[in-house]
Amino acid sequence: MKRAKSSVSISAELKAFLESGVSVVVGTRDAELVPEITRAWGLLVSKDRKTLSLCVPLATSQKTLDNLAGNGQIAVCCSLPTSYKTVQLKGQCIETTDPRRADLRAVERHREAFGRLNDRIGFRRQRTETFWRRELETSPVLVNLRVVPELVFDQTPGPDAGSPL
Amino acid sequence: MIAPSPLTVPLENIAPCFEGILPSTICSCSREGTPNLTYLSIVHLLDPRHVGLSYQFFNKTRKNILENPMVQVVVISPETLYQYRLSLCYERTEMEGPTFDRMKSNLDAVASQTGMSHVFRLHGVDVYRVLDCRPVSSQAPAESFPKADPLPELEAFSERLAACADLDSLLDTALDALSTIFGIDHSFVMALDEDGTRLYTLASHGYAESGVGSEVWVGGGILGVAAERRVVVRTTSLAREMVFSRAVRSTVEHQGKETVLEKEIALPGLPNVQSQLVAPLVARDRLWGVLCLQSAVTGRFLAGDERLIQIAARHLAATMAMLARPDAMAPKAAPPRRTAERSPMSAVVKHYGSDDSIFIDDTYLIKGVAGRIFWKLVQSHARTGRVDFTNKEIRLDSDLKLPDIKDNLEARLILLRRRLEARCDFLRLISVGRGQFHMEVQRQLNLEQHL
Repeated sequence: MKRAKSSVSISAELKAFLESGVSVVVGTRDAELVPEITRAWGLLVSKDRKTLSLCVPLATSQKTLDNLAGNGQIAVCCSLPTSYKTVQLKGQCIETTDPRRADLRAVERHREAFGRLNDRIGFRRQRTETFWRRELETSPVLVNLRVVPELVFDQTPGPDAGSPL
Repeated sequence: MIAPSPLTVPLENIAPCFEGILPSTICSCSREGTPNLTYLSIVHLLDPRHVGLSYQFFNKTRKNILENPMVQVVVISPETLYQYRLSLCYERTEMEGPTFDRMKSNLDAVASQTGMSHVFRLHGVDVYRVLDCRPVSSQAPAESFPKADPLPELEAFSERLAACADLDSLLDTALDALSTIFGIDHSFVMALDEDGTRLYTLASHGYAESGVGSEVWVGGGILGVAAERRVVVRTTSLAREMVFSRAVRSTVEHQGKETVLEKEIALPGLPNVQSQLVAPLVARDRLWGVLCLQSAVTGRFLAGDERLIQIAARHLAATMAMLARPDAMAPKAAPPRRTAERSPMSAVVKHYGSDDSIFIDDTYLIKGVAGRIFWKLVQSHARTGRVDFTNKEIRLDSDLKLPDIKDNLEARLILLRRRLEARCDFLRLISVGRGQFHMEVQRQLNLEQHL
């Protein structure tokens, strides 16, 4: 994997948003610039707020992991289901590891908060649980990604989506 | 020419993924190799090998696809909650044509409802060729939704309509048949007023309040846009669309550009409506009104339902047009009537000339053309004791200054009759044969004319 250029510092407000019940997807690309999307869980911002970690299901993310091994380029998009407030972070994935216990606890917290928020907009808990199970039904194994964000964008839908934060 | 290899999962097998019930995501990639993600409210299925995405704002995705046409979209099945990855290649942008018009009407209708007409503008439809469609999970079934044969239901619906002899029973029969035959429990019909500027509710089914007489402007909101453009407007997840729209509204407000925003219009009907289908009622190349179906369930009305309801709506409109013609059929014999017993109580009927509004004992009844007709009837009753009237004499009464659309008189009388049923328990209009009606008055009426 490549080294990150320079990390942005994540504000306390943004950290709270990223670690809430947001919907998280990860975008990568291969050597031919063909993109790949996978869903991620349990985003955690490091204590120094310069890196973040998140887990992806191994069974559904093989191409993503290959892409990251090849070039490390990553985009992480987080959207609040109740308001569509959306933030995108772009940077480098500097490490893929087995998740630590803290990462797995973050995944559980995220799963719970994501279900709670969706329930508020009429998407019942039972349905979010089914959605979650679909992610892991082939294999329960998760892989942890450590990411250095280099740029942060406001991705809330509208004419200004994509402007730097 | 070599035929393209078949998709791992044919798009028609996962058709509900393209109804906008659950959001999708798109990932594009710049020439320099930086991926970019965006959430999408809907991916449109155009044909077995193409999908369309709305182009509203020039954003990073748009910049990227012009540099590198390869993108990936992930859609979610609202039925099974399995996800599917679509490998796409951007081909072209359509800025006119049937696909563009259909997407534009839907977008404009929701934008008008949410006061965002000046913000949501469809510049084009980005058309992508689908290179493959693969399930995210290897456990995902090969989803397939067999097409039900709608002909028996359509036949039963047309049979029920064919048995109607007047507009009044036609409207009730049609809405009841939509419920019993198609399982659509909440519906209403709005008629176009004489000058073509407003729609008023003429009949409804399945609501706590009938809403008869309520109005919307033609061109405003989902109902008004469907009427103005004579197109079907279908929404599958209204609550989510409203959240999406409010997110955009808040960013516009944040920019200090509130002047481009208009007021959000309250949706009539179900308070928790999720799915809605509005079909124009067109016959003899004239718009008669709209048929609106509602459901509290997301994804209740899908693409197949849209086609089915279009046929049902056209049949309803054609029958409305036929029954509303003054000379449609010879009058049938009037049934014998009982004489209403007059109570010793009296009531005050007020008429305000500025808008022809009518109040009975200070309770609002109706206004406009129907108010003018009602005032004429009660005046005649007060002067001479008359209780029997004909549509023809009303149509020919020059004092009433009726608009020059004669077919609307029947609709106005139905509106008046239904408003009286809902608001007044001592005064009724009873149809006693084609083109004739009886006014049953159980109290002494004291009339007051106001400016």
